[in-house]
Amino acid sequence: MRHLPLDHPGTADHRSPTRFLWWLAGGQWRTLVGGMAFGIVWMSCQAVMPAVIGRAIDQGVSAQDGGTLLAYAGLMLAVGLVQAFTGIMRHRFAVTNWLTAAYRTVQLTARHTVHLGGTLSRKVSTGEVVAIGNTDISALGQVMDVSARFSGAVVSFVLVAVILLQTSTTLGLVVLVGVPGLMLLIGPLLSPLQRRSTAQRHLMGGLSNTASDIVGGLRVLRGVGGEQVFLDRYRRESQATRRAGVSVARVQSLLDALQVLLPGVFVVVVVWLGARYAVDGRISPGELVAFYGYAAFLMIPLRTATEYANKLIRARVAAQRVCRLLALEPEVVEPVEPAAAPPVGAELADARSGLQVRPGTMTAVVCEPSDDAAVLADRLGLCAAVPDDDVTLGGTPLTALPRADVRRRVVVSDTAATLFSGRLGDRLDVTGAGGAQVERALATASAGDILDALPDGLDTVVTERGRSFSGGQRQRLVLARVLTGDPEVLVLVEPTSAVDAHTEARIAARLREHRTGRTTVVMTSSPLLLDAVDQVAFLRDGVVVATGTHADLLRDVPAYRAVVTREEVSV
Amino acid sequence: MSTTLPVADSGSLRRYAVDLARRHPRLLWSALVLHVLAAVAGLAAPRLLGGLVESVENGTTTDHVDRIILLLAGFLVVQTVLTRYARLVSQVLGEQVLAELREDFVGNALALPVGVVEAAGSGDLLTRTNRDVDQLGWSVRWALPEWTIAVVTAVLTFAAAISVGWWVALPCVLGVPPLVLGLRWYLARAKDGYLRESASYSQINATLTETVEGARTVEALGLGQERIDAIDDDVRESFAAERYTLHLRTVFFPSMEVSYLVPTVATLLLGGYLYTQGSVSLGDVTAATLYVQMLIDPVDRVVAILDELQMGAASLARLLGVAQVPDDRTVTGRVPDGEQVAADDVRFSYVEGRDVLHGVDLTVGVGERIAMVGPSGAGKSTLGRLLAGIHPPRTGEVTVGGVGLVELPLGDLRGHVALVTQEHHVFVGTLRDNLALAAPPGAGDAEVRAALGAVDALEWADALPDGLDTVVGSGGRALSAAQAQQVALARLVLADPHTLVLDEATSLIDPRAARHLERSLAAVLEGRTVIAIAHRLFSAHDADRVAVVEDGVIAELGSHDELVAADGSYAALWRSWNGG
Repeated sequence: MRHLPLDHPGTADHRSPTRFLWWLAGGQWRTLVGGMAFGIVWMSCQAVMPAVIGRAIDQGVSAQDGGTLLAYAGLMLAVGLVQAFTGIMRHRFAVTNWLTAAYRTVQLTARHTVHLGGTLSRKVSTGEVVAIGNTDISALGQVMDVSARFSGAVVSFVLVAVILLQTSTTLGLVVLVGVPGLMLLIGPLLSPLQRRSTAQRHLMGGLSNTASDIVGGLRVLRGVGGEQVFLDRYRRESQATRRAGVSVARVQSLLDALQVLLPGVFVVVVVWLGARYAVDGRISPGELVAFYGYAAFLMIPLRTATEYANKLIRARVAAQRVCRLLALEPEVVEPVEPAAAPPVGAELADARSGLQVRPGTMTAVVCEPSDDAAVLADRLGLCAAVPDDDVTLGGTPLTALPRADVRRRVVVSDTAATLFSGRLGDRLDVTGAGGAQVERALATASAGDILDALPDGLDTVVTERGRSFSGGQRQRLVLARVLTGDPEVLVLVEPTSAVDAHTEARIAARLREHRTGRTTVVMTSSPLLLDAVDQVAFLRDGVVVATGTHADLLRDVPAYRAVVTREEVSV
Repeated sequence: MSTTLPVADSGSLRRYAVDLARRHPRLLWSALVLHVLAAVAGLAAPRLLGGLVESVENGTTTDHVDRIILLLAGFLVVQTVLTRYARLVSQVLGEQVLAELREDFVGNALALPVGVVEAAGSGDLLTRTNRDVDQLGWSVRWALPEWTIAVVTAVLTFAAAISVGWWVALPCVLGVPPLVLGLRWYLARAKDGYLRESASYSQINATLTETVEGARTVEALGLGQERIDAIDDDVRESFAAERYTLHLRTVFFPSMEVSYLVPTVATLLLGGYLYTQGSVSLGDVTAATLYVQMLIDPVDRVVAILDELQMGAASLARLLGVAQVPDDRTVTGRVPDGEQVAADDVRFSYVEGRDVLHGVDLTVGVGERIAMVGPSGAGKSTLGRLLAGIHPPRTGEVTVGGVGLVELPLGDLRGHVALVTQEHHVFVGTLRDNLALAAPPGAGDAEVRAALGAVDALEWADALPDGLDTVVGSGGRALSAAQAQQVALARLVLADPHTLVLDEATSLIDPRAARHLERSLAAVLEGRTVIAIAHRLFSAHDADRVAVVEDGVIAELGSHDELVAADGSYAALWRSWNGG
């Protein structure tokens, strides 16, 4: 079986769900063909079994010919063994096909998520993307899986039809017309079933969301109460879902009964015709048994065909969601002809606000209103929703530089930065700077005590989104991470908002020393940090109105003083 | 996941299943009886066909054939009608059972000890809520009824085969050894294999979710390759798990096929031999062969659905496991005398043998405001949680009015102490629902509005399109972080505890909103005892007393002025703050 995951999932054709499915299938055509080949042999073995049994009864049992009976028994055994072997091979190929499609979609989703970066959350909800990993991959996998059986079904149907046609044109026609006819007869029932199923699935989705919502807010519920209210609400929705399920069951059970009746009628008709031929002596008793066998067997291809149709519909829905994601493009477009890279140590400037960051120094930015700080930080790092040409590095607009270069040279770390799960040491040293850099960064971020408290130090596994750490701990680790990377220009947004004053004082004292020779911008209103930087720029309504040291501005600019000495809240 | 929730063992699983069956005797029995009758009706065909073959062999008329065919059709109609009702009843039963299961699960999740909820990542519980409930739904809706039908059909088909003649049992027995051996080998390994498989998909989803939610950070720090590698690693693990279960099936499935094949061939041979001996008729041989062949399908379904049932059972075990988390509260029924909160020689550890609090004593006066300061990791938050009754202390006790906090029923505790953190959650529902959850029974719109007013949130609440009836939360109207925090504060006003523990309650909010929020907070604090874990010194300054927590003990305790005069670590910090 092939080796998974693929090193590269490739570039998907996401113009339409059908094209996407074709593209997926094209990427795994060898295993699909393999699965189909085994599927065909496997189902054909089942198809010819009635013929073998019929002959065995005629020429062996009925004729009381021991040797022939033995020979036919041997043939049955051989066909059965081939069926067992091809059956398991078909299954192995089917699983491979399922997995290839599912894993490939996961890989595509992850890679495109990374490609979109900050754009993702602005264009699509998290749930939409997560649903791909949760449900869509199995829908896509299943359609590949069932393809092997479906092709077996088609071939074996033709095979049986040919066998019957050779015996009797009437019987052959009954099969050729009857089986597809049965499928059509079941058709009208499918649409009310689908309607009810859709209603049921809708309720199930809602129910699942309610449960997730309850679990997500469990801390709140356990903290201040309201469990009963939410349990009651869940029960109400659960009961509505149950009633929808019962309503599906009413139609579904009719369909199940029809699945007994229609094939049964078919068997009765075939056997009736066969028995009359047998009475006339046109066919032997063994052939009559074989006819019964064929009629019973034909229900398998019939069911497989129905299953294939259903799975194809589901896969198209899933493919549609994948296509919607893949069709998104990041807001920052790569320049067609990138400008020459500015030299290391070039000045970062923003024409819109008039902010100029002296290279190699640490600049603090205080904004009034303070919401502007995050917006400015985004713009300085080419992370804003609408990229603009006003931010320049050494006179070159950031938008004119390759996106990867900008990301490497200018790094923005804001309050919403996520700490990812995995080994802590790896999560801190994302650029491969080495252990010494990590140590130094941890010391600057005053995060030594966090490490001391961990049983395995840097080998400790960080849980999902760093939840095992407190807000303050997470913030210091995030700071240490970005310091370890040692970027040319570092933009920090309120890097110490969640740490205590003791620690903030230590960080403020060490930060400038750590960043010596590098350019650092800190968006903050904390006096401890402001006092530790080279210069402070004060922005009002998005424009720099004063620059100088913290002490100068405190003394000379009343508006600045009002912003940084916050009203005290009495506790 | 820092704490993994338990998984129920097979004993409790069985007890639960039996209990569940006992709750619905009528539906269960009618489903079974109907399935049995439907299967019996279905068994007429081979017998009739056997007779037909024999009469054809011996020479018969078209009339006779027509009569038998008519009989065949009659049984078919009966089988159809019975099948319809059998399926209906069992699906109705399935829906009923499923509803009970999921409601029990959510009920159990809602009863989890607060300490466990605080400590466990939401990932595990969310996976159980989504994936396991779905898996179980599939098992109960589809696998269980199919399996039951298959068992009934198999047993009856075998009985019918035997009814042709006792000799038919002999070839059937030949199939048993490979069947039993294969099945035992497979089932011993399958459950762990499938659990690993399902865990690997949870991991893929967790990594994907994390990547999606942190996409901005991924871009800013150039973590793209790292995230891609993480997903590929998860896929690799999932593939390894899939390969293992595939290997199991590769051994198991062919052994099944052989155990189906051998009886069919043997029946034909034995029947043929007995026919030449004249001890059985041609019709018997035909009917026997057909029955034995008919046996394959139900037996195969019984066997194939077993692993599906195992997976359902594994999901059920994970769902029931939530009920097995031991409660860390022991309600004694003692009633607090007064509102004084006190800690007495409290020690606590999250990990065995690593105490983070080393004997803390603190008596909080009624109406007093205490600021807790100290370096990160000194144990402030832990002490705060203990003072809020979330964790029981390892030794010593935390009391309100002389009664241990963990001795109080949760409902009562909330009336005494509440913990306020920076985390907030807006539930899907109306704004009113979001607040009413904390309100005492009987509280109406007036109380809700008063609470919103107290936290200065009435203005924006009234400006919402439908006021209190506006649907908020995921999928509804999005509230800003500051508004969500105000909702959290308004809930506190409604819950009305006399003591509040604030753990960096406003620290991650941007400064401008924080100022507004601090006003809301001040309103909530009015008239209550407050223990504030402060990270900004200016909030410590006005407290009645300041507790400096260092290395798991209270190193200094006194008013701001006393501590400054004492010239300890608090004084040093205060100077550095003011020196700027």
